[in-house]
Amino acid sequence: MKIKLCGLKYSKNIKELVQLPLDYAGFIFYPKSPRYVGEEFDPAIPAMFPESTRKVGVFVNEELQSLLEKGEKYQLDVIQLHGGESTEYCRKVKDAGFELVKAFQMNESFQFQSLKEYENVCDFFLFDTKTENYGGSGRKFNWKVLEKYKGTTPFFLSGGIGAQDAEQIKQFTHECLYALDLNSGFELQPAKKNADQLEIFLNKLELESMKKDKFAVDQRGYYGEFGGAYIPELLRKNVDELQENYLKILGSEQFRKDYARLLDNYVGRPTPLTKAGNLSRRYGTNIYLKREDLTHTGAHKINNTIGQILLAKYMGKKRIIAETGAGQHGVATATVCALFDLECVVYMGALDVERQAPNVARMKMLGAKVIPAISGNQTLKDATNEAIRDWIANPESFYLIGSVVGPHPYPDLVTRLQSIISEEIREQLEKETGNPNPDYVIACVGGGSNAAGAFYHYLNERKVKLVAVEASGLGVDSGETAATITIGDIGFIHGSKTMLMQDEDGQITEPYSISAGLDYPGVGPLHAHLAVSGRADFLSATDQEALNAAKVLAESEGIIPALESSHALAVLEKMQFKKDDVVVINLSGRGDKDMETYMKHFA
Amino acid sequence: MNRIDQLFQNKQKDILSIYFPAGYPKLGDTLPTLQMLQDKGVDLVEIGIPFSDPLADGPVIQSAAKQALDNGMSLQLLFNQLRDARKSITMPLILMGYWNTVYKFGVDAFLDECKKTGIDGVILPDLPLEEYTEDYQSKFEAAGVHNVLLVTPQTTDKRLSIIEKAASGFLYMVSSAATTGGALQASKEREEYFRKIAALEIPSLIGFGIHDKASFQHAASFSNGAIIGTAFIKALEKGQANEFIGSLS
Ligand SMILES: Cc1ncc(COP(=O)(O)O)c(C=O)c1O
Repeated sequence: MKIKLCGLKYSKNIKELVQLPLDYAGFIFYPKSPRYVGEEFDPAIPAMFPESTRKVGVFVNEELQSLLEKGEKYQLDVIQLHGGESTEYCRKVKDAGFELVKAFQMNESFQFQSLKEYENVCDFFLFDTKTENYGGSGRKFNWKVLEKYKGTTPFFLSGGIGAQDAEQIKQFTHECLYALDLNSGFELQPAKKNADQLEIFLNKLELESMKKDKFAVDQRGYYGEFGGAYIPELLRKNVDELQENYLKILGSEQFRKDYARLLDNYVGRPTPLTKAGNLSRRYGTNIYLKREDLTHTGAHKINNTIGQILLAKYMGKKRIIAETGAGQHGVATATVCALFDLECVVYMGALDVERQAPNVARMKMLGAKVIPAISGNQTLKDATNEAIRDWIANPESFYLIGSVVGPHPYPDLVTRLQSIISEEIREQLEKETGNPNPDYVIACVGGGSNAAGAFYHYLNERKVKLVAVEASGLGVDSGETAATITIGDIGFIHGSKTMLMQDEDGQITEPYSISAGLDYPGVGPLHAHLAVSGRADFLSATDQEALNAAKVLAESEGIIPALESSHALAVLEKMQFKKDDVVVINLSGRGDKDMETYMKHFA
Repeated sequence: MNRIDQLFQNKQKDILSIYFPAGYPKLGDTLPTLQMLQDKGVDLVEIGIPFSDPLADGPVIQSAAKQALDNGMSLQLLFNQLRDARKSITMPLILMGYWNTVYKFGVDAFLDECKKTGIDGVILPDLPLEEYTEDYQSKFEAAGVHNVLLVTPQTTDKRLSIIEKAASGFLYMVSSAATTGGALQASKEREEYFRKIAALEIPSLIGFGIHDKASFQHAASFSNGAIIGTAFIKALEKGQANEFIGSLS
């Protein structure tokens, strides 16, 4: 069953509502309604809802031209008609490309034959309570009369539905019931909705869309429409083998024990959650840093490589392939390969080999073979291409991917392995503040693994605002950027359907960021889904903003962050927090590897 | 009748298929190269749609694709170049490319252009079989465009039977676990694999690593013929395309 929330108007109120799984958002364009949006209504307000929420304009006997203009101006998907509009009028609205809902007012004597002529022109009917004034009475009608409706057009059930009606709705069945239309029953005042009450109500309905694990991957590896395994047949057997094994192995007693032991004794987990006092004062709120920079090898990447190397080991693999951008994943892979005595080949863009020299040296000392990728822009994308090509040529090897990208099951595999981050945040915050849930979790996004890990246990806690920060390089419109969600569109990269930076011919664009770890033209499919569904906010920070943020953190807290993590810190400047907000920033790595860049700018 | 089906009806042995990227080495070379190949008696041509990130290709095809892109090649331009090809080109033509370029072009628009320009089939190595059969197969069939599917030495029997059901035109039998341009190594196992695929009802061509007369004849002895890409591109680069095709027979 779908949910429509109608009679919306205020942007501040809508901000609270966008987190709810609303299928339709209704705006009333009838001047006599107490919920009339008004003459000067800002088109940016309906646009606050994610694309997955269809925008509905409600009209009563409006002049056709004016209706079409409003439909265009407010980018409405659906037109709902409440007056005495004729089928001819309906047809014209429909021909203009809108979905059409025609409302009818119900009472005991309603003549259902009168619907016949509308059956073919309307996508939906809406059954409301009969009143003098075109609905909006706040009263229910007797739903029993709908037993007499034998048509095939699906309908919205409307009229005075309130928080107390959840049980009755669950009992009510009708073949054509399509959606609930909610309005005055959930208001603090006309057009101002009560988000908390709505959430409780929707939970009671036990809708599919309110189910836990809304953000889990499905059987075929999709998050909503994103993900999948778009790989050549050459990789099919490898990917199938991994798909068949990963959950079994990750769930096994042995794996869980080995993984936990290594995280404790080798990686140095749990990592602290540091209250950043000076930073908190600076931004007038409560800022906590999740200290992934304090892990062995200095970034969150090791959480993943420890898990995948165990998986490789259990699958009997002898040779490990990896790609790396900043070199953090390469180092983390070389590290675990040394620990488990496995052959290690790391592909790294030739440009990154140059700008991350200390990490290249570390990989070599750890015994890995570093192969510069000389195709394309010679950065992470190209290194990933080369790693995949190596895997095609050496199907008995294990490809140890470094982020929540690639064909299914990699995005899910890496997300699970990084989810230790939010698991710890929950425990630590609970101890510190008495509440496991912060108001905000902020993380930078390259492929998206540290963000996925920091978000994971909050994905279904809709009150926790998730903020993902992309690198915008020299600026989102500069052409020198890596802000995939902001400027990209749907495409296919490294085996995954996701958001992607590409030109109009579908050629993948070369990204740019000062930070090698964020220099990627795609993003994990989970994040594409979080962005499109509106569950996470995607912001961006430029090179300069990240550099500044690094300096601030160094000077105020005595912590030098990785350039990647500095992007997450940079949005503190752009966001507004309340005094008692709890803000967690995932400090994904330390800045040692970036000292040369920092010195160039600060020396 | 689709020209690919016609070809396999008329000829069962030693079918020679050549691959080259559109717009390579020069932007305007697509059509002249096609004409030359037809004049030389080549049976079938696969025209590569250049892509920035060709995952299944080795260095030679990667850099040829990059050069074609630098020349200004695009899918739309390729269709424009092929607009009048059917006035003189009678060989079956196949487009080979990556799914992102086709998806971005729009699948309906793509199939429409294929119909208009007389494209007989496509090879889209990274479009998964399941996505193809569920979402696109009926469209491809309606447009009369064969989607040529790949099988590899790693393809399991179970999967092979699924592929066989969905396949049309012929099967592209990948010779070995490698990206394009690797060497073809003969082995007992390999020959068994070739024989297994060749025994299927649908015709098959062997590709990846075929680079001269000897390797062509070897591959063709197990199947309906073979596909040469990398070696032909190297010859194109050196301006010896004509001689190279001549040396194959
Ligand atoms: C310290 C650090 N943070 C973040 C990233 C970005 O990767 P992801 O988005 O997968 O967390 C990297 C990648 O190299 C990194 O080294």
